[in-house]
Amino acid sequence: MTSTVTAPASALAASQPPARKRRRRRSTPLIALLLGPAAVLIIVFIVAPAVYGMYLSFTNTQLTGFAARSPKLVGFDNYAYLLTNADFLSSLGHTGEFVLYSAIIGQTVLGMVAAILLSRPWIRGKGIFGAAILMPMVVPEVVASLTWASVLSNNSSGTLNLLTSFFGAGSTDWLQVVPLASVVAVNIWRGIAFAMIMFQAALEDVPVELIEAARIDGARAIQVFRHVTLPLIRGPVFLYLLLTTISTVGAFGLVYFLTQGGPAGQTRIAAIYIYERALQFSQIGIGSAASMILLAIVLVLGLVYVRLAKVEV
Amino acid sequence: MTSVAVKPVSPPEVAPPQTFRRRRLTPVAKMQRVLGYTLIGLLGLFCLVPFAWVVLSAIDAHAGPNVQLPTLSFENFTRFFTNSGTPLLLMNSLIIGIGATALNLILGLAGGYALARFEFRGRRAFMYGILLIRVIPAPATIVALYLILVNLKLTNTLYGLILVEAVLQLPVTLWLLKGTISAVPIELEEAAWVDGNSRFQAIWRIVLPLVGPGLGAAAMLTFMGVWGDFLTPLVMLQSQELYPLSIGLFRAFSEHNQVDWGLLAASAIVYVAPPAILYIFVRKHLLRSSLGGAVKG
Repeated sequence: MTSTVTAPASALAASQPPARKRRRRRSTPLIALLLGPAAVLIIVFIVAPAVYGMYLSFTNTQLTGFAARSPKLVGFDNYAYLLTNADFLSSLGHTGEFVLYSAIIGQTVLGMVAAILLSRPWIRGKGIFGAAILMPMVVPEVVASLTWASVLSNNSSGTLNLLTSFFGAGSTDWLQVVPLASVVAVNIWRGIAFAMIMFQAALEDVPVELIEAARIDGARAIQVFRHVTLPLIRGPVFLYLLLTTISTVGAFGLVYFLTQGGPAGQTRIAAIYIYERALQFSQIGIGSAASMILLAIVLVLGLVYVRLAKVEV
Repeated sequence: MTSVAVKPVSPPEVAPPQTFRRRRLTPVAKMQRVLGYTLIGLLGLFCLVPFAWVVLSAIDAHAGPNVQLPTLSFENFTRFFTNSGTPLLLMNSLIIGIGATALNLILGLAGGYALARFEFRGRRAFMYGILLIRVIPAPATIVALYLILVNLKLTNTLYGLILVEAVLQLPVTLWLLKGTISAVPIELEEAAWVDGNSRFQAIWRIVLPLVGPGLGAAAMLTFMGVWGDFLTPLVMLQSQELYPLSIGLFRAFSEHNQVDWGLLAASAIVYVAPPAILYIFVRKHLLRSSLGGAVKG
């Protein structure tokens, strides 16, 4: 008798606070069983490296050599070394240029152009154009780099050299002569699609009535964009800038595949510097300190964007 | 008012009485359209042209580093599958990709269920914590991760890489599956309990069939992330016989003196195929579930 009464009652009581509290106490082992493995693994493989990296950055840990035997705490020595090291400072500079030209300017402008054009009602073949722009993003990093290796080939029949020869220019070894501009172009190419998707979603939320009203009041298309559309999609634009900045600061594969940081360190962005220091020269301490500086820069940039966007987080 | 006035004008575009069109398209509007098509066409070309070499060289028996008209043959692909090293690359990539995705989904499903169905202290903090942690760029933690893995004796093994890759993609999977599971009414599960099912039976019989789309989306995102990852296998694997396609392609490309361009291009096509097939397969589900997940938070 009692069981038939209590079973539905406990089921029904799910939404009532007291019953839920009781259930919570009983379900603690169940939660631990379900969420425990995921939480532990996330802590071991994602959280711990970040914390451990911070610790390592204050030590002179090495993988080889004398210091490998007994790593010692060295305080801020690694940081002091890095902040006076020309190679590291120039790698930060390269990262800055890389992010500014490829992500903040190139991808944003071209992605916005693509999103606006594909939102025009008169454009035909939206599917084809959209798919074409999407292609660079969906292929793996390595394939994306490989396609450009041929475009930027130093050979006189490399794709880009063929194009410039139409204008009478001689063939150039693009990855040697303008290495940073080349990898910036490659990264723009890869990121247009993400910008386009983000902006398309934002543009869909702009009420058509506002734009029509502005047009009737005599505003030109550019004025409408500047004074009506842009303020309305401010939030998504800054969210996009935040996301793309984070991922571009951490860019590694695309550049490493094409140039491996060269020639003469001209494309050695911070991620490549860290990789070289820590895993090729085995200077874990210095590599970790460089990681922490990079991380600090990302966090500061993130805060700036959040402030500029006036987004509640 | 305005929208009512405009609407009757736009349908004639489909079945055009000439007078309407001519009046609507002022020279300025025409200029805008020409400019618009030119711009979008150039953008499309910019995005597609780099692929020309890979596609053309893959089916060219005498492929070189540059774009040329192919002498049509599938020799490069047969060489890819009969060569001594290359099938192993594909095999490793598949083992890593499928293994990591499966592990990721199991962990994600269990964790997502706990996050969706139980109110416990620290739940929100955990959710936002795993979201925020993705802000950290991968190269910034790879060094410490490598040392931890060395201590756990997980470097230079496939199962170690599978474990790491599965966990690196776990935050997204947890968010996605938490959203989809929350969208399944708890009443359905309660009905199953009343009918005598245990908690796990109810999950298996009721929840799992209903979160199919979300599971598919999570599987696709994870698989694509793992399949395309370059940095983690580059750091973790030292033995050549463990390399996945991404590292194999890189090594083959960076031997500057003797690159087998045809084989390289064919490998690239093989490398792109599985995620492309998966994408086409799951696309419909992805759209539906990501919207559902977004609404439910």
